[in-house]
Amino acid sequence: MTSGDLGLPKPEPLLRVSALSVDYDAAGGNVVHALRNLDLEIAGGESVGVLGESGSGKSSLALALMRLLPKNAHEVSGRIEYRGRSLAEFSLSELRAMRGAEVALISQEPALALNPVLSLGQQLADVLLAHGKLARKEVGARCNEMLRQVGFADSERILRAYPHELSGGQRQRVAIAQALICRPKLLIADEPLSALDAATQADILELLQGLKRDLKLAMLFITHNAGALASLADNIVVMREGEAVARGTMNALQVSQDEYVQGILFPEKSLANAAYKERSIPSGAPLLDVRKLSKSFVQKRLLSRKGFVVQSLDGIDLAVQPSSTVAVLGRSGSGKSTLARCIAGFEKGDSGEMLLEGNPITTAEKNKGSAWPPVQMIFQDAATSLNPRFPARQIVTEPLDIKRWKTEGDRNMRALKLMEEVGLDPEWASRPAGEFSGGQRQRLALARALAAEPKLLIMDEALSGLDMPLQAQMVRLLMELQERHGLTYLYISHDLNFISLFAQEVVVMDAGRIVERTTPGKLVQSVHPATRELVEAAERLHAPGVEAAV
Amino acid sequence: MIRYFARRAGHGLLMLFGVSIMLFLLFQAAPGDYLSDARVNSQISAETLAQLRAQYGLDQPLPVRYWQWIKSSAKGELGYSFAYNTPASTLLWPRARNTLLLSIPALLISWLIAVPLGVLAAGWKGRWADRLFSGGTSALLALPDVLIALLALLVALKTGMFPVGGMTSINAQDQGTWAQLRDLSWHMVLPVAALVVGSLTIILRHVRASVSEVLESSYMRAAEGHGLPRFKLLFGYALPAAANPLISLFGLSVAMLLSVSLLIEVVMSWPGIGPLLLEAILARDLFVVIGAVMLSTVFLIAGNLLGDVLLYAFDPRIRRQA
Repeated sequence: MTSGDLGLPKPEPLLRVSALSVDYDAAGGNVVHALRNLDLEIAGGESVGVLGESGSGKSSLALALMRLLPKNAHEVSGRIEYRGRSLAEFSLSELRAMRGAEVALISQEPALALNPVLSLGQQLADVLLAHGKLARKEVGARCNEMLRQVGFADSERILRAYPHELSGGQRQRVAIAQALICRPKLLIADEPLSALDAATQADILELLQGLKRDLKLAMLFITHNAGALASLADNIVVMREGEAVARGTMNALQVSQDEYVQGILFPEKSLANAAYKERSIPSGAPLLDVRKLSKSFVQKRLLSRKGFVVQSLDGIDLAVQPSSTVAVLGRSGSGKSTLARCIAGFEKGDSGEMLLEGNPITTAEKNKGSAWPPVQMIFQDAATSLNPRFPARQIVTEPLDIKRWKTEGDRNMRALKLMEEVGLDPEWASRPAGEFSGGQRQRLALARALAAEPKLLIMDEALSGLDMPLQAQMVRLLMELQERHGLTYLYISHDLNFISLFAQEVVVMDAGRIVERTTPGKLVQSVHPATRELVEAAERLHAPGVEAAV
Repeated sequence: MIRYFARRAGHGLLMLFGVSIMLFLLFQAAPGDYLSDARVNSQISAETLAQLRAQYGLDQPLPVRYWQWIKSSAKGELGYSFAYNTPASTLLWPRARNTLLLSIPALLISWLIAVPLGVLAAGWKGRWADRLFSGGTSALLALPDVLIALLALLVALKTGMFPVGGMTSINAQDQGTWAQLRDLSWHMVLPVAALVVGSLTIILRHVRASVSEVLESSYMRAAEGHGLPRFKLLFGYALPAAANPLISLFGLSVAMLLSVSLLIEVVMSWPGIGPLLLEAILARDLFVVIGAVMLSTVFLIAGNLLGDVLLYAFDPRIRRQA
C-alpha cells in the first residue's frame, strides 16, 4: 500500500503532536507520567531533535508516535496527527501500512534490533515484501542498493550474514537500512548512537546526515547528547520529566538562561564549581607499578586442536602515583579491559609483573581469606553487576559481610554512611537495587567498591552507560571523594568526555600496546593515528562550543 | 559439520556402554535371580539347579558375564531369555517396532498441535483465550497418565467405536493387506491419543513460554515497527528465535513419550516393550530387561541426536560453533 491509498488530504506538517500525555501503570498501583502535555510538529524534510536526560520520557514519545507503547501505558489525552489525520483513527491494517513505509523507527540497541536467527538479507527483504513495494525479483537488487547506501561495499556478503557476525556499528547500519528501505517520509531515531563507541558514533552520525540530505527525510532524533544535535537538528525540543521545557534552534538554546537547559547542553560546566585545581602529577614511589605485562588468549575452535593466539596485552608499562587519576583510552578491543582485569586480579598475565606499593598483586583466588582486596573495580553496566533483588544496604555491605568485618550493626552503619557519601539518601537503604535508576545504581556500585577501602579504584567504562549530565555529576562526586580520601583512580574509557577535568595523565592503547603517554591538555596536538582517531571522533560528535570535553 | 555429528554420535555410543555397565551392576546388587523361585521348589534337586545355573552362566563372575553379553550383542542376540529359551533379540525387535508404532505418530502429532497452538497462545497472552488455554493445560497436566489411559478404555467400552486394547483383531490374519492396515490403525487411535494428551501439555506450555519471552524482546518490537504482518511476526520471526530451547525439548520429549508409552502399553495391552519389560522384571529375566532398557536408551540417544541436527539446521549461531 502506498501513501496515496490512505486517502489523506494534502499535508501541512507531516506530523503534529498536540497536548499528548502518556501514563504508565507501575508496580504497586502507582502511575508514572511519562509524557505531559507535549506539543511537537515536524514538517516534511525537517529534522527535530529531542534532548533530555534518561527518564525524561523521550523513548515513550518515539513509541507513541509508532503506536507501539507497551500494554501498561495509556494515552491519557492529546492527539497525534499524521498528515492531518489522527493516528487513533487508523485501523490495524492502516497502522501496519504506515509503520516502516511512511514512518520508520531505529532504536537504541543495534544488537537487539535484529532477529538473531534470520539472515540479514531475509530481514531486509521482509520489510519490502510486507509493504508490497516491489516484485520479488527486484527485491534483491533493492536490498543491495540500500546496503551500499548505508556504507557497505560488500553488500552481497552482508545479505548472507547473520547479526552475530557483525560489529555493533555494522548492525546499526543494517538497522538503518532496514528502516529506510521503503523510503519512509519520517525517521524516528531513538538514541541511535548510545550503544556504540565514539568513533563508530561519529560514523553513524555522518551517515544519518548524508541520508537525510539525499532522501529528503524528515527526522525525529532523540538523544541525551547535545553535541550530536548541533549539526543535525533544525529545531530542538528539550524535555524534562515528560514535559517540553524549552524549544528552539541550537543557537537560541545556547544562550538560554534555564539551568536545566544549560546543564544538558554544557554538562561540563557543572564541574567548574567543583573543587578542581590544576594538579601536577605527584612524584615519588608509584602506588601501582606495572612492568612489561603481557597477556594472550588462545581462541580455540570447538573441534580443531589448533587455535590462533590473540595478543591482548603486549609489554605494558604503567605507573600510577598515589592520589592521582590516570585515564586509559582506546577503541573497543584495544586491550583496555584486559589490563583492568589483570590489575584487579581477575586474570593472570603471561609475563611481566604488577606491584602495588611494592608488593606483587595476586590473583583473586589467592587473595581469599586475607585482608581487603587492595584493588576494587566498577563496571560499565551497574544494572548487571548488582543483584536487582538485593536491598541497597546489603549490596554495600556485601564485601564487609564476606570478610566478616566487625558486627552486623557496624556494617549497616558503615553502609548508610557510604550511601550518604556517594549522594544517595540513606532512607532508601532497604529498597531493592532494581528500583534505582541507572545513575543511582552506578553510585551504589561506587559505594560498594569504597566499602572495602581500596587503595586503587578501577573504573572500566564506568560512566559510558550514563547520559551526559549524569556523567558530569559522577565525575564531580569522584573528584570530591578523591580530594577527601586521597583515592587513586584508573579510569578506562573509549571517549574523551571530561578527561581534561578529571585525569592528570592519559595513556592511549591500541592493539594491546600503549602507543602514547601524554597529559589531557596535549591530547589534541597528538599525531599518533590511534589518538587522532579518538580526538577526531570527539570533535565530530561534539560541535565546538557545545561540548568542551576535550 | 560431519565431525560435529560424529562426535555427538560417539558420545551416544559411550553412553550406551555406560548404561549397560550400570545395568549389570544394579542387577548384581539386587537380591535373587531367575532361579531363585526354583530353589524353594522341593521337586527340583540341588544338582539340577547347579546344572541350570552353569547352563545359564549365572555361576560366572560379573565381568565374565558382561563380556559374554557383549559378544552375544555383537552377534545381534543381546543375550538369552531364560523364560522364553530364545535369544533376547527375537523377543525385543518386534516389540520395539510396536512401541515405535505408537511413539513416533504420537511425537509428531503432539508437536504439530503444540507448536501452532503455543505460538498463538503466546500471541494472545493476557486475553481470555490465553487464560482458558492456561487453565486447560494445567488441568490436563494434573491428570496422571494411567488415568488418561483408563479414560481412553472407558471411551472405547462405552461408545463401542474403538477396540478395547490390543493391536489387531482376532480375524485380522485372514484379510488383505489394506484391511489389515486399517485394522491396525483403528487399534492405534486410542493409545496414540492417550499418549498425545499425556505429553502435549508440557510441550505446549514450553512453546508458549518460550515464544512469549521472545515477543517481549526489542527485535520483535523493531520488526513490528517495520510493519510486518502479524502472522509473519509470530511464525516467521518469533518462532525461529524461540526454537532453540524447544528443539532441546524435542530430544527430551522422546524420552518422556517412551516412559509414558510403557505405561499406556501395559494398561491398553499393546504388545510393545512395556508389557515385556514388566513381565521380564517380575521373572528376573536378566537379559530381556537389559535389552529393553538398552533399546529405550537407543531411542533416547537417537532423539537427542535428531535434536542436534535440527538445532544445527535452525540456529546460525550453533552452525558457526560447530
